[in-house]
Amino acid sequence: MALPKRCAKLLAPAGNLEAAKQAFQAGADAVYVGLRGWSRGGARGEFDREQLRLCIELAHALGKKVQLAANIIPKPQERQQLLQELAELAGWGLHAVILNDVGFLREVRRKLPGLAITASIGCGALNTSDALFYQDLGATAVVLPGYVEPQEIAAVKAKASIQIEVMLHMVQEFIQLGKCWMPSYLNFAAAERGDQPQRLSGSVKRGGVGSCFRICQQPWSLLKDGVEADRRLFPSRQISPVAELGAFLDAGVDVIKIQGRSLPAEMVGAIIGTYRSAADAWKCGQKADQKADQKTNGNRAALPVMWTVQGR
Amino acid sequence: MGPFELNTTISNLRNLRESDLSAYDAVYLGNIYCRIYEDNFLERLDDLEEGIALVKGQGLRAYVTSYAAPRNDVLPKVQKALETAAAAGADAVEVHNLGVLRMVHEQFPGMPAHIGGFANVYTDAGAEVLKEYGAVRFTPNYEISLDEVRAITSGVGMPAELVVHGKMPLGVSDYCFLLEYEKNWPEKCPTLCQKNLFLKQGDWAMRSVGKGVLSGKDVCMLEHLPALIAAGHNVFRIEAAYETPAYRLNIAQIYRAALEQAAAGGDGTVDESTWNTIREHTAVGLCNGFYFGRTGAEYVGKRMQSVVAC
Repeated sequence: MALPKRCAKLLAPAGNLEAAKQAFQAGADAVYVGLRGWSRGGARGEFDREQLRLCIELAHALGKKVQLAANIIPKPQERQQLLQELAELAGWGLHAVILNDVGFLREVRRKLPGLAITASIGCGALNTSDALFYQDLGATAVVLPGYVEPQEIAAVKAKASIQIEVMLHMVQEFIQLGKCWMPSYLNFAAAERGDQPQRLSGSVKRGGVGSCFRICQQPWSLLKDGVEADRRLFPSRQISPVAELGAFLDAGVDVIKIQGRSLPAEMVGAIIGTYRSAADAWKCGQKADQKADQKTNGNRAALPVMWTVQGR
Repeated sequence: MGPFELNTTISNLRNLRESDLSAYDAVYLGNIYCRIYEDNFLERLDDLEEGIALVKGQGLRAYVTSYAAPRNDVLPKVQKALETAAAAGADAVEVHNLGVLRMVHEQFPGMPAHIGGFANVYTDAGAEVLKEYGAVRFTPNYEISLDEVRAITSGVGMPAELVVHGKMPLGVSDYCFLLEYEKNWPEKCPTLCQKNLFLKQGDWAMRSVGKGVLSGKDVCMLEHLPALIAAGHNVFRIEAAYETPAYRLNIAQIYRAALEQAAAGGDGTVDESTWNTIREHTAVGLCNGFYFGRTGAEYVGKRMQSVVAC
């Protein structure tokens, strides 16, 4: 009998403890959570310290792990505070921290050598050389967006030893994640948050909770030479190629990451369950359910040719 | 370098030949957004070699830029462009992608690297890492204020390149916003993105350049040049990759004169005819970007700015 193949870990989002529980029950190997004041994401997507402690305890009881999304870029005067937080959380058993700034990443690597570090999808890594850059910097893993092809991942894996996480279930927005400051160009304000660090509403990389007010999903008039030619949203789509999971696993992906710390707990469980089934089927050499994508509300139909310049 | 450097970006040989560069000190060659931008220097390496020679032949510094969001299929071309830049004597390369920075550092160790705005330098710690990879100057992420820029330059000892005029980059995409209009418009790729295409919502406006989004308003720091000089800044960019040759020339002449005046201790006052010229080259209006910690589309200065219909 053939041995089961080595399979990627399944990393689920958890905006609250119930989501973490459902993710673990559904088969996630780890969850990633935000700590209030230090992460991007929606208003429902952050834990306070007590909730985080309970989540880590729960994970450890199940033999699973917790990652912390600390993917705001901390100001220089905030770095020491965040480092102290991370040191304490590492003592609680936090497995990894997700970071968005190369300088802070290196600092955490040097000062907290036992803590795994993931270069966030907001770092904008897209190619093999990016992966090697973060590998050199000391990151344990780097997140690639879900629209990279399996052959691209295979090419990265051939050259880089850093773990490759792919955010397979995500909203593919028009602007590359980590390279967008349309919201803050249009609406940007400092917001005091009591004893929390000051955040900049509108800045996705520095604003924290709820900063991106999704202007790309509001209707815009497209004017050509001053005349309205169209009224439209920016292109975006939900991708979730469960039916093609095998190709990604064959390519050597280390972690399948699901986007959505603001998702309801039940939806997290359902999505994780679908990916768990697909991954287990792959491990045993079975073909994926071709209709699995429907369960995750996403599909990997080719992007409309009209959008892509590849091949032109 | 003199008391300051004024530079701009030019995407192809045609634009270079039709541009009067007499008011500039340096030019970045290439279009960072799209491989199929018309005759992009980064794809037409014979043109790139010729462009470098043309720029240097005029006594200017020639820099070669690179793609802001390259996937693996683009890296071989990036490699070739870097080789061409090195062989042709380019004075530096600009990198927006940290993987490309690593390529420059490993394979062209003597080549100075200018860090572009999409590389997301927000902090001194970030800049410090990139300095170790051969960066000799950086364009701060466009979102940070002058106070934050100063904290980086003073802490790291690396000069910042500041956009002082032109439409600020707001985002880069892997896909083109405009290709779906080819079937209904007379314009086709690769000239689509060179049209004046604006996205408007109420008072908000941005410019689409296909795979990139730019501010609708032009950043204008003309009133604030004395303060920038006094703060120790001396590298300034006119963002004009998608502008006309007249824009490229007229704006640069204004800024050159103003910078020389500021460097000599002037107070930054310019006459009304200068502002008229600025207005002629402004489709939507003026802003200061994020330099004063405000919303990017706001203008801070003595001159009140009204929005111009685009």
